[in-house]
Amino acid sequence: MIQLIRAEIYKLFNQSKTYYALASLFMIEIVILFSAYFQGKNILDILLENLKKTFYFEGNLLNGNLLVYLILNTLWFHLPLILMIIVSGTLTNEYKDRTIQTTMLQPVVKWKFIFSKYLVAIGFTVLVVFLLAITSFVLSYGLFGTGDLIVYIQTLNFFNANDAFDRLRYAFLVGALSMVFFSVASLTIAVIFKEATKTWIVSAFFLILSNLLLKVNFGNEWLNTFFFAKLNDTWQIFFYYKIDWTIIYTNSILLSAYIILFMGIGILLFHKKDIG
Amino acid sequence: MIIIGNDLSKLYGSRKVLDHVSITCKAGEICGLLGANGAGKTTLFKILFGLVTPDTGTVNIKTKSNKKIGGIIEGPALYDYLNAYDNIKIFSSIQGVNTSKSTIETCLHNVGLPLDRKDPVRNFSLGMKQRLGIAIALLNNPACLVLDEPFSGLDPLGVAALRKLIIDLAEKHQLAIILSSHIIEELSKICNTLYVIKEGKIVNKGPAQKLIAENTNSYSICAENIESSISLKSYKVHFKGQCAHVSIKAEKVPELIQQLYQEQIYITSCTPELSMEKLFEINL
Repeated sequence: MIQLIRAEIYKLFNQSKTYYALASLFMIEIVILFSAYFQGKNILDILLENLKKTFYFEGNLLNGNLLVYLILNTLWFHLPLILMIIVSGTLTNEYKDRTIQTTMLQPVVKWKFIFSKYLVAIGFTVLVVFLLAITSFVLSYGLFGTGDLIVYIQTLNFFNANDAFDRLRYAFLVGALSMVFFSVASLTIAVIFKEATKTWIVSAFFLILSNLLLKVNFGNEWLNTFFFAKLNDTWQIFFYYKIDWTIIYTNSILLSAYIILFMGIGILLFHKKDIG
Repeated sequence: MIIIGNDLSKLYGSRKVLDHVSITCKAGEICGLLGANGAGKTTLFKILFGLVTPDTGTVNIKTKSNKKIGGIIEGPALYDYLNAYDNIKIFSSIQGVNTSKSTIETCLHNVGLPLDRKDPVRNFSLGMKQRLGIAIALLNNPACLVLDEPFSGLDPLGVAALRKLIIDLAEKHQLAIILSSHIIEELSKICNTLYVIKEGKIVNKGPAQKLIAENTNSYSICAENIESSISLKSYKVHFKGQCAHVSIKAEKVPELIQQLYQEQIYITSCTPELSMEKLFEINL
């Protein structure tokens, strides 16, 4: 099993597309920082125009913490989409190049092979979120300095610089779990569809549908609490004035259970299906 | 017997791809599976490999080796962004085989691949990829080797080299080898036993040379002045350039060659023209 995991890591980091994907994430970060640098002041002025008539704002609101928060918002779509493409590609490419046949012609246990892919996908996802967090903090603080964070969720919430840093850190941590969910889901989709284009379309559809369903009120307490699509914005809870840790713990446990469920379905399907 | 595939059937939807096929191969034997495209060769091999579950029948491979069967199916499938060394290393490591530099180099050497090629295998010729595929198939010492269309797409030099490698593996390493092709000439040169598959059924089987002789009704005989031969007049013959296409039974060929020699017609080649129609007739 360890050998299979090592082989998966080796394959993942020996493919140029992995680095293209990482570079594209880094580019998105740079674009956000540049656009904020050139236009951020105007946007903030428009946002706070009315409030400025009533309140006096001290310090620069266009600071590193706000920029990290903007980058954090790539967790909604950009980051999971890129992760889903890379992670599902680890399997669809094996089908396309038929290397999965060559692998299965060796004395390798099928469920162990796919399980190792899931484990490496989870590790890779956490690593990417960690890299995104580190680079966004370093670049944002380096270019814009620190300061108080202003976030609009239902109402304007203000956090002092130290508090903002803690909340952003925790948001990345909990956000990583959502990203793991989407990565695992994409690998399960790849198990079902085998072919890259179909897998990408279905994965993107799954991501969009999850984001849409997040905003839908099902009119049912159970569905509104436990349905997987309702669990992917847990990281946003850190930007309410009062952090509800109970919801964060509950949602994280539930999402972990969904991750295990999706992974279990993928392993079972892969084990049952013929190769080729 | 090393490998016994017994009563194997497979349906894809309503289409019967394999219909109660049985095949065996013993140590040191080369078995050929001859069939047209879509006859069921690849499906049979996928079942032998355990990649596809048959609807009926069983596959039994008698070996104590950790890896029962090795092979290539539908052409060599390799990690094309890795070089040959790393491909062997990765396939060795996943099955817990020694991945030392010397072991990997021995694997490459055994199939005649150069040790100094460090570029990705996507730059390799098909022949080199076939060799690398065989090197990977041979990892962990399987008792049986199954090769699907191994000569497909190779140039004549590549075919000759691969043929020699397959014969060596059977004779020196006592591997049971099953290979498929739709080209009878290739199979006739190396196979001990021949299975003929048509529309998912084995329609003919037996020692390769016996099957070929039984199903050969004519020979192509080439010589410089072949058209002047008097002996050929007693046969149904059709001339094309310096070759005569002669309808003749296999047992009569030595006598004809002798007569041509006496007429001072020195033949340069005598090639059996196999009757594919007859070979693919159901004889079982």
